[in-house]
Amino acid sequence: MTNRLCNNKSYVWALATVFMLLATPSFAADQTSKPDPAQTARGAKAWAANCARCHNMRSPKELTDEEWAISVTHMRVRANLPGNVADDIIAFLKASN
Amino acid sequence: MNTKKYLLRTAFAGSLMLFPTLAFGQTTNNVSIEALLQRIEQMEQELSGLKAQVKQANSKADSANQNAAAAIEKAETATQEAKTAKQEAVRTASPSTTNNNGSDTKWHLAGYADAGLVITDGDGQDTFTSGKFNPMFHFQYKDLVLFEGELEFTTDSEGKTDVELEYSQFDIFLHDNATLVVGKYLSPVGQFQERLHPSWINKIQGAPAGFAHDGVQPANDIGAQLRGGIPLGSAVLTYVLAVGNGPRIGHEGGIELEASGNDDNNNKAVTGRIGFLPIANLEIGASFLTAKADGIDGMGVFTPSNADFFLWGVDGAFTRGPWDARFEYLNGERDSLFSAHEPGGDVELLPMMELEAWYTQLAYRLSGVTEHPVLRNFEPVVRYGEFIIVGSDELREENAQKRLNVGLNYWLAPSIVAKGGVEWRNFKVVGISSETLYQFQFAYGF
Ligand code: HEC
Repeated sequence: MTNRLCNNKSYVWALATVFMLLATPSFAADQTSKPDPAQTARGAKAWAANCARCHNMRSPKELTDEEWAISVTHMRVRANLPGNVADDIIAFLKASN
Repeated sequence: MNTKKYLLRTAFAGSLMLFPTLAFGQTTNNVSIEALLQRIEQMEQELSGLKAQVKQANSKADSANQNAAAAIEKAETATQEAKTAKQEAVRTASPSTTNNNGSDTKWHLAGYADAGLVITDGDGQDTFTSGKFNPMFHFQYKDLVLFEGELEFTTDSEGKTDVELEYSQFDIFLHDNATLVVGKYLSPVGQFQERLHPSWINKIQGAPAGFAHDGVQPANDIGAQLRGGIPLGSAVLTYVLAVGNGPRIGHEGGIELEASGNDDNNNKAVTGRIGFLPIANLEIGASFLTAKADGIDGMGVFTPSNADFFLWGVDGAFTRGPWDARFEYLNGERDSLFSAHEPGGDVELLPMMELEAWYTQLAYRLSGVTEHPVLRNFEPVVRYGEFIIVGSDELREENAQKRLNVGLNYWLAPSIVAKGGVEWRNFKVVGISSETLYQFQFAYGF
């Protein structure tokens, strides 16, 4: 009886592990580029101030991290943004998509 | 668990049943002993049958356990596979050599497209405009260099596909405040060409008078730029300084402010713009372009000479919440020169030519006054401008005009727009009748 109970328990654990494993990829990815909250906050401000000057602002959800990195670098040139401001905006967009 | 319980219960019940009979048997007669023995034998058989059932049930339970373990293992493998698939999907969706964050080279495909309809009361026909398809490519190596290239596909009036290279440039990041650009780039003069002309950004179908082909707004050039932004307290100063092949003498002796694959002379064009943003919502800019252009070779007694061309302009933009207000002014002057109107034509003295163009534009997004899910996406817009040409009757006849646009845009998404508008062209040369155009366009920036 105890044996079976044990098995039941381990089954629950196994399920929990499965869910955790499922959840880990995004979690792990976030961890490697753990956003610096101060930079993200600066980025949010700079995004609000700069990214609607020429065209409508797109939602941070519209592009992937990598696409944002390239697009904002593109905009750094087009809009003559100082490099550190562009970096802050990238950090903010990556943290918000 | 249940099977065991069941067995125990049955055994217990069995023995209970057994005891009374036994007791009774002992106290009555021996004849029933045989019957009892028979019963016992029978019960023993039943018991061994039940034992076999228990054994079977246990082995079933074991195999169920094994199945569960196998299922867990399978689930774990599936999770691992899902994890790998997810990584692969991310890699394919935004391809890079390793992953999102660690790769040295990133690339991105973007661009825009549009389609439209223009109805005119002028000499031309009402027409569906084939629209543009402008794919744009970006390749970035670390924080060192970005390559950006854009093609423009259009359909000409004969039905052929026209392809043009809008720009193709390397942006080399030297410093937080300095980027070196080499290649073919959009002209940094003013705002319209570099920032506003893509149809998903432009709030009105088409450029203001004088800001398109045959106008005074330079389109693009081939050369090098140094550009960047420098913070000055809470303000920002932006700069662009460019050296390129520069303009040529174009059709009807006008000036063709478009990039050419090789320079027509050894004199390079120098272009620049300074922008000042006292606050983030307001930008004031000043631009210039200085160049020499060679006259076109042809027949006759005169040989072609060259002419100085100088252009200057100012621009301003105020964008805040639902408001978008802009203003630009450009003034270009080409000295007199000897040139043919077209290659092989008669070389003659072309007088000094002055081109002047300006526009002002105001747009307001209704989200400023309503939260209504449909109404908030509308954006009325008005633009008024003028193109003045002095020194070339032919060009004046073709282009000099006052132009008023009134439009209403509907934004389906931040970069998807349906535009409807009316354009009144009031030509400056007496005898050329004014024109009214009804314009509809759908544009998507992706
Ligand atoms: C100076 C004007 C200007 C500013 C400021 C500006 N953009 Fe752009 N943006 C453009 C233009 C022009 C294009 C279209 C480029 C083309 O078609 O050549 C564009 C294109 C884009 C695109 C489409 C993909 C791409 O990379 O071309 C995205 C996304 C974008 N901008 C995001 C942003 C963000 C985020 C900011 C703030 C950091 C920003 N823009 C600030 C002018 C601007």
